[in-house]
Amino acid sequence: MNLHVVSCNHQSASLAIRERLAFSSAEEIQRAYQEFHDRFPSSEVVFLSTCNRVEVYAANTEDDPAVVRQDLATFLSNFHQVPVEEFVGELTEHTGPEAVRHLFEVVSSLDSMVLGEPQIVAQVKEAYRKAEENGSCGALTHALFQGAIRTSNRVRTETRLSNGRVSIASVAVGEFGKSIFDTFSDKLVVVIGAGEMAEETLRYLADEGVKQVVVVNRSRERAERLASTYSGEVADWRELDDWIGRADVIVSTTGAEEPVVTFQRFDQARSRQARYKPVFVIDLGAPRDFDAKIASMDDVYLYDIDSLQKTCERNRQLRQAEVSKANTIVEEETQRFMSEFYSRAGGAIVKRLRDDWHSISQQELQRLFSKLPHLPADDREAIERTVARIVNKLLHPPLEALRDESRDGAPSGLLEALARLFRLR
Amino acid sequence: MLNVSVFCIFASYLVAFCFELTRLRGQSLVARIVSLGFASAGLLAHTIYLLARSSEEHLPPLLSSSHDWLLVLAWLLMVLYLVLTIVDRQLAIGLVSLPLIIGLVATSWLLPDTASRGWDPLRSWAMLHASSLVLGTAAVLIGFVLSLLFLWQNGRLKQGAVAKRGLSLPSLEQLARLNLWSLSAAVPLLSFGIISGIVLTYWTSESVWNDPVVLGGTIGWAAMCALLIWQLSQTRTPGRKVAIATAWSCGLLLFAYVGLQVLASAAGMDSVHGRKPTDPKEGAPSALLKAVPTGEVVE
Repeated sequence: MNLHVVSCNHQSASLAIRERLAFSSAEEIQRAYQEFHDRFPSSEVVFLSTCNRVEVYAANTEDDPAVVRQDLATFLSNFHQVPVEEFVGELTEHTGPEAVRHLFEVVSSLDSMVLGEPQIVAQVKEAYRKAEENGSCGALTHALFQGAIRTSNRVRTETRLSNGRVSIASVAVGEFGKSIFDTFSDKLVVVIGAGEMAEETLRYLADEGVKQVVVVNRSRERAERLASTYSGEVADWRELDDWIGRADVIVSTTGAEEPVVTFQRFDQARSRQARYKPVFVIDLGAPRDFDAKIASMDDVYLYDIDSLQKTCERNRQLRQAEVSKANTIVEEETQRFMSEFYSRAGGAIVKRLRDDWHSISQQELQRLFSKLPHLPADDREAIERTVARIVNKLLHPPLEALRDESRDGAPSGLLEALARLFRLR
Repeated sequence: MLNVSVFCIFASYLVAFCFELTRLRGQSLVARIVSLGFASAGLLAHTIYLLARSSEEHLPPLLSSSHDWLLVLAWLLMVLYLVLTIVDRQLAIGLVSLPLIIGLVATSWLLPDTASRGWDPLRSWAMLHASSLVLGTAAVLIGFVLSLLFLWQNGRLKQGAVAKRGLSLPSLEQLARLNLWSLSAAVPLLSFGIISGIVLTYWTSESVWNDPVVLGGTIGWAAMCALLIWQLSQTRTPGRKVAIATAWSCGLLLFAYVGLQVLASAAGMDSVHGRKPTDPKEGAPSALLKAVPTGEVVE
């Protein structure tokens, strides 16, 4: 099997190298396929480029010279104008069944930075689609990527590898926020502080449809930068109590040494509102920005970084517990793929054998029927059916042996024996 | 044969509930299918039973007896439960609604199943009275279920516990909104049911205000009206307190409409809705047999 993959991923290569080898735009990918075909016209190829990996899957028929690690490294070097010496040590290579297993692990998110993350399936499908568009897929890569998609479907439905959220912001919004509010589109989000965590949380909230964002921060410049990203507005620090009173969602990441919002301050701020409403508070400050006592108030749903982190950790452990199940599926699908591949490899010999035997039986039947012209049509058909059954029954044991042998690898010995025994060319 | 059918309905719903309970130990597709299968089979038996009763008594089930009235109520809730569960497989409403439905089916055993022939001349009004009350009571039961779900969801969120797979609940905002809708539907329906009941008693010239079921039902209805007015006027009441108040009011009304019928029936008290006639022909309250609106004497 002439299948090779070279991979430069988050485990083997630094971000600096991955960035330089990445195919960042559709035009660049298209140019890469073009140049690859010019260089290796008989090869099938699929480029997979995400923020965590750049991988090249190359396949050839047995008759063509294989495209190996050195060829692929040189291609990447020439294409991106990066000297080979700078990254060749950070490339990993898989060939044959190992390459199949590697892709199946990648698409199942077993090789991802965040175990079980769902984006990789879409990224692999997109890479396959682009390869198809550029006419780079052949029989082997089609079968390989279809097998990969089948594997990821099995892993997703038969295991819980993708269950539960594992980042603090996604846990806060997905596991709790969505259980409090039906929709976020009419909710006012007040962000206290303008740190990275606040930005990440706002990204998740924006995905849920948040439209009104107010950033309250001591440094107006940072607040303005964050607010402008989400079409929000900036409020003065002195107006904090007023905004706390009006907010539906509060995200706090100040990094202050003492709680910024005490129980009394929060109670007074909320009591100013005209109408009672629930409030979802995500306190991402360490130490906490909100007094823990606030959580005891009715209709206040307060989550601090510790409680969110515990949920993330629990979800991570649950995912980890599913790894062995997912590995079993990957192994089964790899075996299945290889078995089908080897069966296809022996397909020509099998077809020839079957055709030869049926041809001989037809010749003998014609001879018989010419000697017995008085035979009625029904009897002729009955005889033909019986002979066809005999041929099929005789063919069954060798074909079964061939299929069994294919499970452990290419049945080249048996194929050779069949070809010699029955003079198949 | 009919008793066996009620047992079939009860047993099917009970098995469905037992399999529904497996959600608490994690999601199982087989358990979900078995639960839905038994619930659907029970609903089929339930429908056939009500149709058989209706054709046997030559009356709509709502009018024939308290036993049938209660089974119609359970049937309505079961249809709603099945539709919601099929639409959203993750929704865990069965854990709260199935016990109520099973309770209604079990309670129907305790109520008289002899048809009230005396309703015939006043069939339109009686039908209006019974159907308004059954729909109003269904809305009350839905409000009761929604309140319990609200308290469950609120408790989970307060503890910071992650929802288990297959045990998803609607958001608090949605539950509060649906709760208000169910109350808003229940109050006018129950009011109409009570007004039509008063019209019926006027025509039949029977005093029903010493009837425990009528009295309890009216008190329950008043509580529901008060709750709705309170809910609409309150701007600063926590959702948890609203849910608790709704659960209590709905519970009170349920006791008044269902519990008092059982008690009246068991104690042999004089009640229009819960009396067990000694003579099959004497199915209806005697006063109802006196006159019809046109003044025509029935017997």
